[in-house]
This record gives sequence, C-alpha cells and structure tokens, in this order.
Amino acid sequence: MSYPFTDDHDMIRDAARGFLQAWYEGGKGPERIYQSGTAYDAAAWKSFAQELGMAGIAIDEDYGGAGLGQLGRIVVMEELGASLCAMPFLTTCGIVTDIIQTAGEPIAKNRFLKKIASGEIKAAYCDGHEARDKKVTHVAHAAEADLIVLSRRVEDGIDYFAIDKRAQGLVITPEKTLDPTRGFASVDWSQVTDNDLQTIGYGSEDRHEKLITQSFIALAAESIGGAQKCLDMTLEYAAQRVQFGRPIASFQAVKHRCADMFILIEAARSATYAAAIAPPVEKSEAALIAKAYATDAFFKVAGDAIQMHGGIGFTWEYPLHFFFKRARANRSMFGRSSRDYDRLADSIFGAHA
Amino acid sequence: MTLRDEFSAWMSANFCGEFEPLRGRATPGDEDAFPGLRLKWERKMGEAGWIGVGWPAEVGGHGATLDELVGFNEEYAKHGGPGRAGHIGETLFAPTVIAYGTKAQQDKYLPGIKAGTEFWCQGYSEPGAGSDLSNIKTKARLEGDQWIVDGQKIWTSLAMDSDYVFTIARAEVGSVGRHGLVFLLIKLNQKGVEIRPIKQMSGTAEFNEVYFTEAVCHKEDIIGGVGDGWKIAMALLGFERGASTLGQQMTFANEFEHIVALAKKNGAAQDPHIRQRIAKAYAGLKIMRMTALRTLEAAQAGEVSKEGYISKIFWATWHRDLGELAMDVMGADAEVLEGGEYGKLQKLFLFSRSDTIYAGTNQIQRNIISERALGMPKEPRGGGTVVSGHG
Repeated sequence: MSYPFTDDHDMIRDAARGFLQAWYEGGKGPERIYQSGTAYDAAAWKSFAQELGMAGIAIDEDYGGAGLGQLGRIVVMEELGASLCAMPFLTTCGIVTDIIQTAGEPIAKNRFLKKIASGEIKAAYCDGHEARDKKVTHVAHAAEADLIVLSRRVEDGIDYFAIDKRAQGLVITPEKTLDPTRGFASVDWSQVTDNDLQTIGYGSEDRHEKLITQSFIALAAESIGGAQKCLDMTLEYAAQRVQFGRPIASFQAVKHRCADMFILIEAARSATYAAAIAPPVEKSEAALIAKAYATDAFFKVAGDAIQMHGGIGFTWEYPLHFFFKRARANRSMFGRSSRDYDRLADSIFGAHA
Repeated sequence: MTLRDEFSAWMSANFCGEFEPLRGRATPGDEDAFPGLRLKWERKMGEAGWIGVGWPAEVGGHGATLDELVGFNEEYAKHGGPGRAGHIGETLFAPTVIAYGTKAQQDKYLPGIKAGTEFWCQGYSEPGAGSDLSNIKTKARLEGDQWIVDGQKIWTSLAMDSDYVFTIARAEVGSVGRHGLVFLLIKLNQKGVEIRPIKQMSGTAEFNEVYFTEAVCHKEDIIGGVGDGWKIAMALLGFERGASTLGQQMTFANEFEHIVALAKKNGAAQDPHIRQRIAKAYAGLKIMRMTALRTLEAAQAGEVSKEGYISKIFWATWHRDLGELAMDVMGADAEVLEGGEYGKLQKLFLFSRSDTIYAGTNQIQRNIISERALGMPKEPRGGGTVVSGHG
C-alpha cells in the first residue's frame, strides 16, 4: 500500500485488476466492444458491478455500499481506464451516486442507492439545467442507463430528478463517436410528463458546481489508468523490439521519451490523489487541476506511445489507437482543460481582475 | 498547542524589527543579500531550538512527524522567512551523520548546526566529474592520524559562507568509478583550502570552486570506511528528495505569489495566455506538494517509492518556466535594471537556468528515471577511452 491509500484500497485494486485483465484477455476488449457495435459490455457489468460489488465502492455502508469514498473510486477508475472496459461506472458510481448522496432526500436515497450499490441499476447524468428545449446531446452512458438523472433550474438553485428509461415519451438516441468504447447518446425528455419525474432533491447553484467538479476526479483517475497502460505497453514493446542489434529500449531517445511519459503520469497521480483527499474548501480547485492535468497527460502519453511503437503503433490491429481515442474523448468530456485553467486563474486573480 | 502554532507564534514575535529586511529574500539567485543579518537570523532560530526539528530527540531534535514538518515549513514561508543559510547542514549533512556517523561525530558536528553557528557545503562535482560523478580525481591519503587531500571541486554551493565541506575523494590508489572512495569532513578555514566564487549569469555567485592543496582533516573525520564513500554520498542525496524539498516549495510559493501580485498590478492578469500559464504554474505547485508527501510517507514507512524520481526534474523545469513567466508578466520592465541592479524576478529568471543543470541535469534525471523507475537498459560506459568529437 502507498500513501494515500490503505490496505482496503489495495484489495479493491487487486480485485478490479484481476477481473478486468482476465475478462479482456490481455487487451482484446476494446476490439470486441467495437465489433459488438454497442459501447456497453452487459456481461462485464453483471460480473463487475453485481457479483464483485464494485458499483457500491463509494456508497455509504448504510445503503449497502463499501463506504470507501473517493479514494476507493479512484482505484477502480484507474483499472477501468487501463482496460477500456465499456461499463457505465463513471456516471453510475460517480456523478449520479454523488448527486443522490449529497443532494438526495431520504426517500430518494432509499429508493436508488441500494439498487446502485448492488449493481441492479445503471445511471447517466444529463445537465438539463443548461438545456433550452429539454434535449441534451452527448450524454455519457445514456443509452445503457436504467435511470436518467436530470438537473433542472428552479427559482434559486438546481433540483434533480430521475426518469426511468421506460418512461413514456423519453427518447434516447445513441451517437456514433470517435471513441467506440464509451457510449454517448442524446436524451430528449420533452414529451415526458411530470408524473414520470421522480424527485431526488435540491441544491444551490454553488453546490451543484461543486458536485459536478468533484466528479472530475474520477475522470482524472481513469485517464491515469489509461496513460499507465500506454506506458506499460511501450516499455514492453521497446524491450523486445530489436533494431541496430539492440533492443530499442537501450536508446536514449526512447528512454528519455519514456521517462517523460512517467513524469507526466506520476504528476497526474499527485494531482488526482491530492484532489481525492482535499478538504471541502479546496476540493473544487483541486479537482479542476486533477482533471485538466490528467486528461492532458493521458493524451500526450497516448500519442507518445504510438510514436514509440513505430509502424505498428498506428495500425488498427494494435490496440493503442483505442487508448488514443479515449484520451481524446476525455479531453472534451467535461470541457477542455484550457477552460479549467481559466477557472483556476479566476480564483487566483479574483474573477474580475 | 501544535508545533505549527507554536512556531507560527514564535515567528510573529521574532521575525520582525531588525530582521524585517530579510523578508522573502536570500532565495537562490539572491544569496548575497544581507549576509551578516542572515547569519544572525540563523543563530536566532538556533537559540530558540528551531533548527533540527525533524531530527530524532536522542540527538537534540524534536522528532517532528511528517505533518509537523509540513506545518513548520509552511509557517516559515507564510511569515516570509528568508532562504536558510544552514539548510545543507541541517537537512542533508545532519541526517547523514545521524544515520551513518559515530556517536563522537554526532557530538562533534550536530551542536554547531543546531545552534545556527556552523555551516556546511557539499563537495561532489569536479571539472571532470559532472554528470559522470563517479569519475572523481581528488585524492586522499592517510599520513599518521591525518588525511591529506589534493584536488579540485567545483559547483560547490555556498562554500564562501561555510565552515565545513563534506566531500568524496579517491583513497585507494588505482581505483576507478564508485570504488575506493572515502567520504571526508574537512574544515574550510585552513591553509590547504582555497575558495574561488564562480560568478553566474545572474551576477551573483552561489557556486564556487574549492581547491585542496595538501588540505588536512583528522583520520576520524570520515563517515563510513575507505571504499564506502560512494554509498554515503548517495545516501545523502536520498535526503535531498526528502523533507528539504518542503522548504524549497514554500520559497517557490512565495515567488509565485509575487508574480501574481505583479500581474494584477500591471494588467498582465488580463492577458488570457498569461492567465493560462499562471494557472498551470499554480497546478505545478500543488503537484509538487503532493509528490513530496507521497515520497515522504513512503520513506517513513521504509519504502522507496518510484514517484520520488520525478521530484528533481519536475521542480527544476517548473522553476525555469516560472522564471520565463515572471519576465513575460513584467513585460518591457523585464529589461530595465532598477537602480542599476538585477531585481528579484530578474535574478530568478537568470538563476533558474542553472536549476535544470545542477544536482543532476534534466538529461541525467531522465536516464535515472528510465533505468531505476522503469527498468530500462543502462547506458553503456565508455571504459575510460575518450572518443574525440573532431574526427
């Protein structure tokens, strides 16, 4: 175990890694998902979320979860990032879990948290309060979700409600995306009647911002996992690929590039772990740093990995391109990093410097 | 009362009055500021027992925990404490003598460090032993009960203000590389030692050449035995990645705040590109802090952690970039010498070009990372044959 993790986290890490490596037979997963035509691996979810109990990692023990908080979730997200396993963990066990745990009324907690913890329901989050006409595009994991959680602007804040996927009038249209291993869809609830809106709770605008920003930490962790996998693949390749009579891993040009990849990854880990353990007043700022740094790092490392692999790196057959595409997708998932840094600058200078 | 609170209260009560000119001064590139007053400040710290707080209680320290050390360093910076003249002795040499020295050596050397009256410098590099550090040519021979030392050291930080140098020299005739070295403790104020400052592009001289011509030290003034020199020298560098980085980061944080304040004042804060760079610099500060905590926690648990290897190249590169950012924030003023002297940020900009070179260049750091953290093949060794670059 290493700071800031405990033995419990290590056990979770080992369990998640063991499962995902076996499941995807050493990296064949992304291609299998691509061939299936749908960015959701139902059998994996059943085993991972339900049987291994991973879905409840960050849910309080009162609701059947493991109560391992953000650090527990980070550990799982890193392993998911390394495998590109197509499961709606980020939204179900990240954003939606946090919304219900933080802003949910007791009745909503009772209704949903146990089912999420047991892996019975999968959920997506849709920032409806930004939508003009009750339609939002590019919602992660919406197509496979059992529950769509929506935010809605009310007089002095944001309220949250849930729509069952079977609700009449709900239209979910899957999108074709560059990264074939994470599903996105548009969600249209303009024809859903108020009777089908299940209340979750209410939060101020400020708290909503904090909630969403906090979920950035999970995306940062996933990016670290993906980047680490790219570096591991590169090291393995460089050790066995022989040119000029020696493994290319012995050339300084290759060694130094790998060192730079390592520096980026470890720095991203520091940013992400710091965010996970940050006290509430520093949480949002730390989460912005983690997400901006880790998603940028993943993209750089994935690109470097392709370069270090030479010709095979840019083929379809070799799985690096899936990581490169995921890295690209993570860069825009919650907005680009330049926007995060701009928000940071606002808080450094005061918003109206 | 926590150690942090106690120290903060002491700083409020004591870092004032005559010491006021030292506020935020004497950072790298500014090491010639108020030399006399800085030494007085060290003695003040020492008298109050604030030197060596991280040492174990048996040798006169507070045995401070990691959290306490973090608090101590943060409070020092918050109060604007100056660059510490004694940090090489306190955070590099002392842990080494505590871990590997004899009781007699601890009794002889620790009190002066603790009192803030004796200062140390590190004599490792030589003209022909820079990145290839084990290519040491300085020789030490034992005559009677004295070591006689001949040779030249270079890039010795703060030698001009120091009382002692710890150094490595070749004690076995005919030995090469890491073998046959001895780790010596040499008093600088003697006729066999000459110190020549090296003026840097910042106009200041933190680094020096140190010449040994039949310089002497007592035969007991070695740590470990003959042949252990490399091991001790490397163990000492291990402490460099440890708690001493916390104090350095606080200096960085103060420099960063200085640049932010300037950007607000002169309008650079309106420039979207400058804002991005400021925000990234801030992220870098937070990353360095957490990397240090991860490394230190692992060290406390007796583990060697891989992330520690990124520390030097990360901070050096960050600090060099900060220097460039400082100049861009200053704009046209960056070129103007106020009162004919380099200002604080100009010194930072110029001095920081050395950060990515001393204590292991960025290129050597990448070798170390790739070989030790990533397990890639080692660089081939030249075997003593110098290949001419001119055909």
